[in-house]
Amino acid sequence: MNERPNDPWFASLPGCEAQLPCGSGRHVVRWEAGELRLADHADPEAELVLAALGGEKARCVEVAQAWGRHAEDLTVLAVGPRGPADEIVVSWEDVDAAAQGGGRGVLPSSGPWPGPPHGPMRLAVPFSGPPVAAAVQAAARRAQAHRAEAEQAWQRRNDMLSLLALGHGFQTRLIGQVVTAHADRRDERDEPGRSSGPALTAALAGRLAPVAEQWLGIDPDQVVVSLHRAEGWGSVELAGRGEERRLLVSLPAGWLARVWAPGLALIGRHLVVAVQRAGWPDARVLALSAPGREPVSLEAHADGGSSGAGDRPHWEI
Amino acid sequence: MNREGAETYLRLLAESGMREALAHGPGSPRTWGPAGGRAKMTVVGQVLVMVGALDTETFEEIVADFDLALNVRPLRGPVGQRTVIAAPVASPPAKAFQAVAAARVSMPRSQSVRSRPGDGDTRAGRFVPVGLTVPFHHAGVGGELHLLSYAHTGPGARFIVAWGMRTQPLQHMMGMQRLDLIPFDRFTVTDDRGARYQLDCVLAGHPEWTGELSLSPTPPRDVRWLDVTAPPSFAVRVDLRPPGPAGDEAQVTQTRYSPGERLLIVLAERLLTTAPDAQQLRPGAERMRRQLHPMATNLGDIVAALETADVLSPLSPVPARLATLCASLDFDGHGLAVPPALKLPEPWLSLLAHYQRRKPDPPPVHEGYAGLAADLPEIDGIRLALLGLHHTGEGSSLHVLARGLIPESKPGPLGIDRGFPLSIWLRDSGGRWHATRPADRRWTDGECTARLHLVPPLTRPTDWVEVLASGQSAEVRITLPLRWGYPS
Repeated sequence: MNERPNDPWFASLPGCEAQLPCGSGRHVVRWEAGELRLADHADPEAELVLAALGGEKARCVEVAQAWGRHAEDLTVLAVGPRGPADEIVVSWEDVDAAAQGGGRGVLPSSGPWPGPPHGPMRLAVPFSGPPVAAAVQAAARRAQAHRAEAEQAWQRRNDMLSLLALGHGFQTRLIGQVVTAHADRRDERDEPGRSSGPALTAALAGRLAPVAEQWLGIDPDQVVVSLHRAEGWGSVELAGRGEERRLLVSLPAGWLARVWAPGLALIGRHLVVAVQRAGWPDARVLALSAPGREPVSLEAHADGGSSGAGDRPHWEI
Repeated sequence: MNREGAETYLRLLAESGMREALAHGPGSPRTWGPAGGRAKMTVVGQVLVMVGALDTETFEEIVADFDLALNVRPLRGPVGQRTVIAAPVASPPAKAFQAVAAARVSMPRSQSVRSRPGDGDTRAGRFVPVGLTVPFHHAGVGGELHLLSYAHTGPGARFIVAWGMRTQPLQHMMGMQRLDLIPFDRFTVTDDRGARYQLDCVLAGHPEWTGELSLSPTPPRDVRWLDVTAPPSFAVRVDLRPPGPAGDEAQVTQTRYSPGERLLIVLAERLLTTAPDAQQLRPGAERMRRQLHPMATNLGDIVAALETADVLSPLSPVPARLATLCASLDFDGHGLAVPPALKLPEPWLSLLAHYQRRKPDPPPVHEGYAGLAADLPEIDGIRLALLGLHHTGEGSSLHVLARGLIPESKPGPLGIDRGFPLSIWLRDSGGRWHATRPADRRWTDGECTARLHLVPPLTRPTDWVEVLASGQSAEVRITLPLRWGYPS
């Protein structure tokens, strides 16, 4: 029951692919075994070198770079899908429009999503004398910092839209990757001293509550989720009655990667709390028939068994 | 303080808002309305930032992620269109309450007397009640200059003044400001050593007949008197020697409000001073309603968030008082889970009694001014001096000077005045309490002179006032006798 599987988090996920406009044609981007692969670019690294020398960067290469940049970005959890029915629609036209600063209404008018940065900023203050020079230099530094910030936000916005445009299958796999990157270092803090705990708790709550609603018919707002940090799979208990009824769930953050992302969360009226042996299309899971009960080990089998079913896999006992 | 708990609370609120949006459509008023998920998240986030439980960057990031998450989802709801224009993230709240939380309290826990009214403490500043009138007449313009008090602090010396115009000359009828018509260049000020000073007038704001007259150059600290002469040759002598005991000494009580309690008290005072106006059909009422609604409808979540952040004890009596206040002001849907308190602070009760009285207000007192000056002991790192009281047809005002405030030009969330984190109440000699609301202020070299609007205004002549100033760490009470002057 407390075994720690050695198989990778993505072992229950089949490959998936998407087509995207790249150059004059449409290219295939594929996700397989935890990695993004560019089927139509034999040597992406060489293309990057050429792009650095002034050549045009292929969109496929840009997307792969964006994937790498956001593989640990907690924003992916806040924006990404909460379940198979939660549809996110971003087209490549939206991505192009946003890159040109139009946005087509897809983006909020506030927050860190400014338009593309423009050319070099000019300072209107003439350079004369030491105090003025110092002020001009300070203003230039501020302008440079502001510009760098704007460029970063612009890049981030375009990255995020491109990753969402790849479709549901890629979105859930990226969520799995981000969660895995943070799950084992929950107590670490980033530079401003923040931990990933709050974002992981919210990500877990946002995805588990709808599953619990399906499982028990409980109001998702009555589901209280916490991160399970100790050994074992966690706990699921029902407390209170009526308005005061609460489903108290404590699961490790990795549940999102190993259970939710492959679509294993709810199988045959059982809530899956852990994967004992990951695999595609067959896996062994630990599942609860009801809150408070002991979990049982079940063999699960995915429909289709090919990569074509990769976007929203369907599992049965 | 549980910062991680605070961030988790806000992120879970965002998830709840997302669920609501997905159920009703991202463009639904249930998401974007004043009681919707985004407003709730924004209000609670602002409150958490104000008490220092959440940093501004994280707050903005959570709201921006929420907005992006909604904007990339197709519309299923009945209202709106794909282009959801996100309401801007409200300006990040200032660090006023954080500063208060970090402020050092230099006074002992027991009662402490730091100053007498107008004792002319030269180290902290010199504040002298004046209460004199200088009539003037020049080039067809006549009136009176009322000197309320004299204040000498680091940035300089000034009189707090009000003035009245007896004549309404053509220029004024043509739209010129009253201030332009007062011949200040004809006024002379001379001290006990024969030195002369120039007067520079600065308006405190609206109404245009109050302000400050700064003296240039700054007189010596030990100047005994100043002769103020107005055209053609009216002169008054302003005695600046310590006046001796006038009124009681300031009583200081150490309080131990948590940052969360203090914030709730400020919110309660905001409700008390604006709710009655917002519920009436008068100019600005709609704006007030828009400001108050997100606060009043999210009080339950605000309290829960503050408790999660460990800045409000679950045993605190303040949420229950807030529940009573909401019930008394007919604010439904506040979401506070605690039963209403049976007892309220005396000033709150007094104000509620005023609002709930069915009789019309008595006719206001005559226009008048009262010179007063008192330098109060420090509260939360802020030193406050009381500099005068005046009453006109537009209302009553208390003039104060504050040192140690953090300048804040932007309005705070929920209508909270971030730049003035103290509560100031005034009790008149009839026993009625008046709340105060900053009306206008002016900054000079780190000092702030402010006019505080009394709610409700004075309706009867009062022989004395008790002023209660409170913050997170202490409250100060002082009783001051008043001698009113009335324009002729």
